Amino acid sequence: MTDTAREEILARINEALGRRGGGEYVSSNPRSTTSAPGVAGPEATAADAGYHHEGTHTGEDLVELLIDRLVDYKANVHRASGDPAGTIAELISDHSSIVVPRGLESAWPAGFSGEVNVDAPGEELSVDELDAQGAVVTASAVAIAQTGTIVLDGSAECGRRAITLVPDHHVCVVRVRDIVDIVPEGIARLDANAALTFISGPSATSDIELSRVEGVHGPRTLDVVILSE
Amino acid sequence: MTFLGMPLLRSKHAHSDLPGGQGNIVETEAFPEVSHEHLSNQQLRNNIGHATSTIRSKRAEVVSELDDWEKLRNAGEATKNEVMANLPEYLAQFEEAFTATGGIIHWARDADEANAIVTELIEDNAPVLETGRREVIKVKSMATQEIGLNEHLETQGIDAFETDLAELIVQLGEDKPSHILVPAIHRNRDEIRDIFMKTMPDAGQLTNEPAVLAEAARKHLRHKFLTTKVAISGANFGIAETGTLGVVESEGNGRMCLTLPETLITVMGIEKLLPRFADLEVFLQLLPRSSTGERMNPYTSFWTGRTEGDGPQNVHLVLLDNGRTRALADEHGRTALNCIRCSACMNVCPVYERTGGHAYGSTYPGPIGAILSPLLTGVEDEANGTLPYASSLCGACYDVCPVKINIPEILVHLRAEDVEANHSPVSTQLDAALTGASWMMGDGKRMTAVEKGLPLAHKATRGKQIDALPGIAGAWTSSRDIPALPEKSFRQQWADEEAQRSGTGAQTGDEEGQR
Repeated sequence: MTDTAREEILARINEALGRRGGGEYVSSNPRSTTSAPGVAGPEATAADAGYHHEGTHTGEDLVELLIDRLVDYKANVHRASGDPAGTIAELISDHSSIVVPRGLESAWPAGFSGEVNVDAPGEELSVDELDAQGAVVTASAVAIAQTGTIVLDGSAECGRRAITLVPDHHVCVVRVRDIVDIVPEGIARLDANAALTFISGPSATSDIELSRVEGVHGPRTLDVVILSE
Repeated sequence: MTFLGMPLLRSKHAHSDLPGGQGNIVETEAFPEVSHEHLSNQQLRNNIGHATSTIRSKRAEVVSELDDWEKLRNAGEATKNEVMANLPEYLAQFEEAFTATGGIIHWARDADEANAIVTELIEDNAPVLETGRREVIKVKSMATQEIGLNEHLETQGIDAFETDLAELIVQLGEDKPSHILVPAIHRNRDEIRDIFMKTMPDAGQLTNEPAVLAEAARKHLRHKFLTTKVAISGANFGIAETGTLGVVESEGNGRMCLTLPETLITVMGIEKLLPRFADLEVFLQLLPRSSTGERMNPYTSFWTGRTEGDGPQNVHLVLLDNGRTRALADEHGRTALNCIRCSACMNVCPVYERTGGHAYGSTYPGPIGAILSPLLTGVEDEANGTLPYASSLCGACYDVCPVKINIPEILVHLRAEDVEANHSPVSTQLDAALTGASWMMGDGKRMTAVEKGLPLAHKATRGKQIDALPGIAGAWTSSRDIPALPEKSFRQQWADEEAQRSGTGAQTGDEEGQR
């Protein structure tokens, strides 16, 4: 059934585009901006449009911009240099157990006196176990200053997606070297085939009379530790 | 045009022989009639007016932060045009990449076919519960609204739980969404509290504070998130180059659905593709700023087929036509398919602001709905031919559209098509008024003669606004007031002012009229 549907939909598209025999694209629309048939190369649109591909902030300005945007989204921001263990320990001291991804620097949660559960392939915590954790501590892949966005990429130190979702408190370490200024710089650093999560502040809704409420289904508290090395 | 081995396409439309879409994209009552009903609902107008003006100013603020906004819009428009022009190639490329990573693709010609595919997938993957029914959780999705999936599943013994707070409010209130971004925009906090207390068995006593209501929703859904085996989502973007799908959201309910269940079924229109992963650098700037007026929405998830050890291991995608190819065949209207569902157009639309979304009778309300719905179904389908008239053609929607869809131009094109297809003058009052105006304005003397009647008319109406006119003109005043008539015409006032300035005494209107 679906194969027929596939062929029929593709035939409809060819007819709609005025292609003859299903191959060549013939535009009779003078407004059409595309002239080349077939799949165009990556240089076709993005590069020609002339929008910014690189930001202008560097150094401390860049970090300050990220902090400003994170705070705007009601994330809590902390700074550490060298070893963030003390900062992290303080943030999670109220909890009795936390979860960390398999590849997290082992020194980072070392100051925590409660139970540290490592989520690793073959030893994944069940959803109920995740639900029982007070917090999750992870690293991050990229942070985009202009939008206050932190990207997790499923790597060993970011973990699988569920661990940063179910616990109500997320402590996320952002290395200064992973901060970029604008969205295009952030996208350029990512691997499309990874399971990616972009986080800009904690869970929020504005569905009731547009008044913003932080914390609906995702973690209600997001602590960001900015780490200079 | 013949396609060998293909069944004959229904020849329903004079304009295009491609079949129109079905489902919740059909207006059953003419827009002027149904909107009239909503105009008298003061509560709705207040709620919507407050919401649209708030989002409007937030959007303007964050857009003004980007000095390359117009260039981003140009890039967005060019990229979507590129997708439409090469759609078969990009679909094939997407299919190959998504399938290579363990995803399974299904193609659906229309709403019925999509609903049947999703039903079968649920029956294969969701257990029958003690109640004798199956359950699935859902991320807010325009495509599944469009095909009426929830209603269909209901008849098949499947309960689909909406997990977006606004969609939940709409679902529990047995209501319909009225805005594509904030579907419960027409409800105030007291109404929402009443709905929750009536429909959530464990809610107990609630106050009307948004934080309390959001917490009630969290508790209500938490167990479902952690235990349900099958989730259904839409997708904001599909990347042809890599087979990646993306969902943009705020609450984390999307992440819950996309991550925790064993099976994920996504329904996506064939037009939602972007050529390259790098194109997200444009669209992740355009969408949140245009939509919620944020620099970035709280959560965005991307997945490419199946990710080993992370998230659902049984990943399906239903690619939906449902009239999209029909819209694509309309060379003047096809750019409506470039829409990324941001809702900026409805937040600036004076017509939407007064009627609300329900008047459009479609999943897609507001300016984009006024063109998209008739393009998907054809203007001949039920009352969809009236939708292109649901506009003042002020152009505000075009100015804010992040992918530069020229909505006013398409509205005019569709009006012409409607007149041609439905062979009836749409509005006798409008025709009569325009004929009269054209007779009057076509000759300066007549104009002047009419203007001379103004002081008299001003007297006759005692300088008050007019809220009821007789005859066919009554259709205008039944939903609008005409401001009080001035004592003098603009041209007379102008002439008087000029005369005063130059000190030559009053010019008569007749001289003006000679030109």
